Amino acid sequence: MSDIWQGPLEKIDDYRWRIPKSYKAGMRVDGIIYADEKLLKDIRKDKAPEQVANVAFMPGIVKASLAMPDIHWGYGPSIGAVFATDISKDGIITPAGVGFDINCGVRLLKTNFQYDEIKDKIEDLIYVLFDMVPAGVGSKGEIRVSEKEEREILIKGARWAVEKGYGTEEDLECTEEYGAMEGADPLAVSSRAYERGKAQSGTLGSGNHFLEIQVIDQLYNQELCDEFGLTLGQITIMIHSGSRGFGYQICDDYTRSMIHCLTKYNIHVPDRQLACAPFNSPEGKAYFSAMKCAANYAWNNRQCLMYLVRKGFEKVFGISWEKMGMYLIYDVAHNIAKIEKHTVNAKETTLCVHRKGATRAFGPQHPALPPRYKKTGQPVIIPGDMGRNSYLLVGTQKAMEETFGSTCHGAGRVKSRTAATKSINVDILLKELKAKGIIVKASGKGTIVEEAPQAYKDVNEVVDVVHNAGISKRVCRMRPLGVIKG
Amino acid sequence: MVEQGTLNPKVEGSSPSWPILTMKNYTFIEHTADIGIRLKAKTLKELFKNTALAIFEIMAQKKPSAVNRQPQVKKIILKQKAQDLDELFINWLNELLSLSSAKGLIFYDFKIHKLDKNSLEAEAYGENINTYKVNTEIKAATYHALRIEDKGDFWQAEVIFDV
Repeated sequence: MSDIWQGPLEKIDDYRWRIPKSYKAGMRVDGIIYADEKLLKDIRKDKAPEQVANVAFMPGIVKASLAMPDIHWGYGPSIGAVFATDISKDGIITPAGVGFDINCGVRLLKTNFQYDEIKDKIEDLIYVLFDMVPAGVGSKGEIRVSEKEEREILIKGARWAVEKGYGTEEDLECTEEYGAMEGADPLAVSSRAYERGKAQSGTLGSGNHFLEIQVIDQLYNQELCDEFGLTLGQITIMIHSGSRGFGYQICDDYTRSMIHCLTKYNIHVPDRQLACAPFNSPEGKAYFSAMKCAANYAWNNRQCLMYLVRKGFEKVFGISWEKMGMYLIYDVAHNIAKIEKHTVNAKETTLCVHRKGATRAFGPQHPALPPRYKKTGQPVIIPGDMGRNSYLLVGTQKAMEETFGSTCHGAGRVKSRTAATKSINVDILLKELKAKGIIVKASGKGTIVEEAPQAYKDVNEVVDVVHNAGISKRVCRMRPLGVIKG
Repeated sequence: MVEQGTLNPKVEGSSPSWPILTMKNYTFIEHTADIGIRLKAKTLKELFKNTALAIFEIMAQKKPSAVNRQPQVKKIILKQKAQDLDELFINWLNELLSLSSAKGLIFYDFKIHKLDKNSLEAEAYGENINTYKVNTEIKAATYHALRIEDKGDFWQAEVIFDV
């Protein structure tokens, strides 16, 4: 592990730590990390806090460079970074604040099943789903699309799948941005991105992406659980995937062009990976249009994956998905940039909010929420590692005030992939998971080891921080029963 | 730093276009989320080539069933321009990753014909990805903590990949 980070972390309260802007010349705002004392020890062990300070250099940044408790060392900004720029004052947009896997995200479905009813079917389900859902590096999907259809996907997002019969209007209502950002411009996308994207719709991918059958093992807020129709012992399904090679190519294409923007627009950042351009520049606008295409591609991808999951359950149980109550609770993006209005210095301001490994967590009554979630606040889905828990939370008004309506996105890594590979035996790990009642199927053993629970922070601790800090509220907790890894 | 990786030293097949790979070393740099490597090489050309070789070795190994088969080699010609050496290096690696994904190829050898700090001309030799077992997806090479240094009698690079 790297040296302990020695920079200043001033305690604001039990869950917030400040890197003052006096730490480095060039910081325009403070850095603020959400964590408790225990998590902070891990956070200091790598270069993530330095990256929080680096983001504070971005032109147009307002309030603070924020980091969620699942923060870990990334490239450019840390993973778990949230920052916003004022686009009326030369605020920038940066591909590094979104990441290569644009609109990597999670969706959560509920079912009518109770654990006791289907506990003997979990293994069958995992085998059937593993057959039906293409997973692994460069995996290609059964849902093949022409170039014309691919362009439609970039504009329509998840609606494309719904029009094809792979879902319902209700699914769209239960997806962030209703499954598509407006203003996606397919002309801003390179031919290479098309080439990389064309065979990957309806595929899970690899790395930390997964499909999980889960059971609700703890309720935290009965009223909210009632609103969502969730009970103890109920079976849920979680899908974690993104925009695959299509999104990586867009990030690569625009990082290339924005490296040159640093000189062109006289922007000084301490890490070249923070290459950026003013949001209102031709380069900034082009990236945002292309990013929306990738975001829409990812929402369509997760919609197609959910369709395959519903089909898989229908195959095993021989009844329709509607009868099994396989309704989408919500789908959230956790690598994305958005134009949103937030209050800055008591004034409503239009901002470009970057969330890189962070989830939108809008509070109750926010206009972006569908009618069904106006009262509860936005559902926030937090996946954990394959051996521990995942969570359903809701957004809060405090998140609107403090974090541009944002919260954490997962557990956050604590051990490198190489260290995990060296120290963890895959067969022992699989046995341990089986003893805990968790079946794992993966396209390669390497991924299982790299993604082992030991490589991650305890998601329970991460969620405790965002709940106690008030930037989201716990609804219920799930534990995994069956996991498919890419 | 945890372990040494060695690039495939063996030469299989008898096609004249099949390259001779020499044994080269790289080491992993500890990074919480991603993969970082450090390499040394006698020349800048060798540094560019060895980093590319390292990427594809980390990503994939040839399937045992394909080892003795005559490879179906696909040659791709690459030309890259950049403002400086760092940018050229990152563009070179990301172009290879992009081509690998778009064309379904794993690259196993490279000939660098021309290289200065602003431009590169090279050939990359790849085989169908189906003849490989793919272990890790590398999304991209990044500028974060990138170092390319002329150490006098050798060149050294440190680069972090998004995985």
